[in-house]
Amino acid sequence: MLEIRIRHVDQAFSIPQGRWVVFEDLNLEIPPGSFTVIVGPSGCGKSTLLRIVAGLLRPTAGEVYLGSLSPEEARAARWIGWMGQGPALLPWRTVEGNIRLALEVNRRPLQPALSIGELIELVGLRGFERAYPRMLSGGMQQRVALARTLAPGPRVWLMDEPFAALDALTREQLLEEVERLWQRFHATVLWVTHDLHEAARLADEVIVLSGRPAHVRARFSIPDPRPRRDERRIGEWVQTIRQALAGGDR
Amino acid sequence: MSSRALLQASGHLIVRTARPARRWLRIAPPFTLPAALLAWELTVHILRVPVYLVPPPSRILAILWAERGLYLQAAMVTLGEAIAGLSLGMGIALGLAVAATFYPPLERAVMPLVLLLKAIPLVAIAPILTLWFGFGPMPKVLMTALLTFYPALVSWMIGLQAVDPAALELMRAWNASDWEILRHLRWPSAWPYTFTALKTAIPLAFIGAVVAEWTGASGGLGRAMWLAQTNLDMPRLFAAAFLLAAMSLTGYGLAAWGERRVAWWRS
Repeated sequence: MLEIRIRHVDQAFSIPQGRWVVFEDLNLEIPPGSFTVIVGPSGCGKSTLLRIVAGLLRPTAGEVYLGSLSPEEARAARWIGWMGQGPALLPWRTVEGNIRLALEVNRRPLQPALSIGELIELVGLRGFERAYPRMLSGGMQQRVALARTLAPGPRVWLMDEPFAALDALTREQLLEEVERLWQRFHATVLWVTHDLHEAARLADEVIVLSGRPAHVRARFSIPDPRPRRDERRIGEWVQTIRQALAGGDR
Repeated sequence: MSSRALLQASGHLIVRTARPARRWLRIAPPFTLPAALLAWELTVHILRVPVYLVPPPSRILAILWAERGLYLQAAMVTLGEAIAGLSLGMGIALGLAVAATFYPPLERAVMPLVLLLKAIPLVAIAPILTLWFGFGPMPKVLMTALLTFYPALVSWMIGLQAVDPAALELMRAWNASDWEILRHLRWPSAWPYTFTALKTAIPLAFIGAVVAEWTGASGGLGRAMWLAQTNLDMPRLFAAAFLLAAMSLTGYGLAAWGERRVAWWRS
């Protein structure tokens, strides 16, 4: 299990009007094996933070470590599982082919953590191995994307609002599956969302970011047992997070 | 149980239905060409147009049939030059487009030269090529390559860049090399553009070969057209043009068929 350390990170972009500062001296420690959810106002830099941790964006200043490795080294070691807002499936590959793709790149083939068949079974797509993405619903496509994320056995899951575009019922089913899979794989999860209910439902830790330049406005541990089905209790946490988002620093 | 059956059973099969076209629009395409030829034939007869101005299609087809050996031989020469030139033009375009994908400044460096080449009227170049390379196939192949290079280059440059940004980000998160991204993502994404390029370049390839033959050749449909024009033999000029159009249409049809077969996910 890997710890994620973000130290003194600055991130700014040059725009015609000057400098667009996203982070200034951002510091975070994500405990190993934890499910950490990041919430914050739109445009505060949640996705940018995920990209920095994934090594897809080099910060203007500061350091990020995944265990003892830099993000680039972690990427090369295939420790990082990335899932964005859309499924990003290749339409010319079958379900099986899309999942296998995660093992075919990075210059050397990987031995999967589980067989492709087991992964397909885990995400509830048995029988659809040879189906093409356009034949699947949005929810099923996201299941394929989830199986593909898990295929190389990543030690860190970086999830950028992966189910934001899905209907409430499908999202609910997928959240249950993610929770189940996370408990099985013991990965460190960094999950970005706008959905406070999702945050209260999934998180060990909730990190509330402020508006730009973003800093940590509040941080909560949610010690409630899993799976969390007590809607009243989840509602209380939602309220707490909402207050942190709306109010001052904590 | 097949995937499709499972999808149907689970209600997840997404069926895309096209907007129903008007019946006559759906049945019209196979009849438009015969209808145009018939209208041409009737017009020529009714208006008594002299054959040295516009010959009727029946006369053109009769010549084509009577002299099929000669025309077939000429067509094979032109076809060979067109295929060789098309392959050369598209091959260079592909190499350049791939190189520009790996090294983007190359696009900015090369495009002014390519545009300059495109701006020069290639009909003016044809006699120069014949002067340089003689009456053999070389100037025809080069002319065809010059004509087909530009649409192929533009299509591939767009095609290799037109990838799903989310898929590209994912590949980078997997630490995929540029070569792996090309192989698994850019190249398949560019397939539809390849066929778009082919559909544009195939008719141009025949035009390139014929224009070059016109300026000096020992065979080919361009040579046949030039001879007929010199003798004011309109039926034979039109016969060669008919054959050229038929070859162009067949090539276009093959490219469209290939597009449906290879880039099926777009339909």
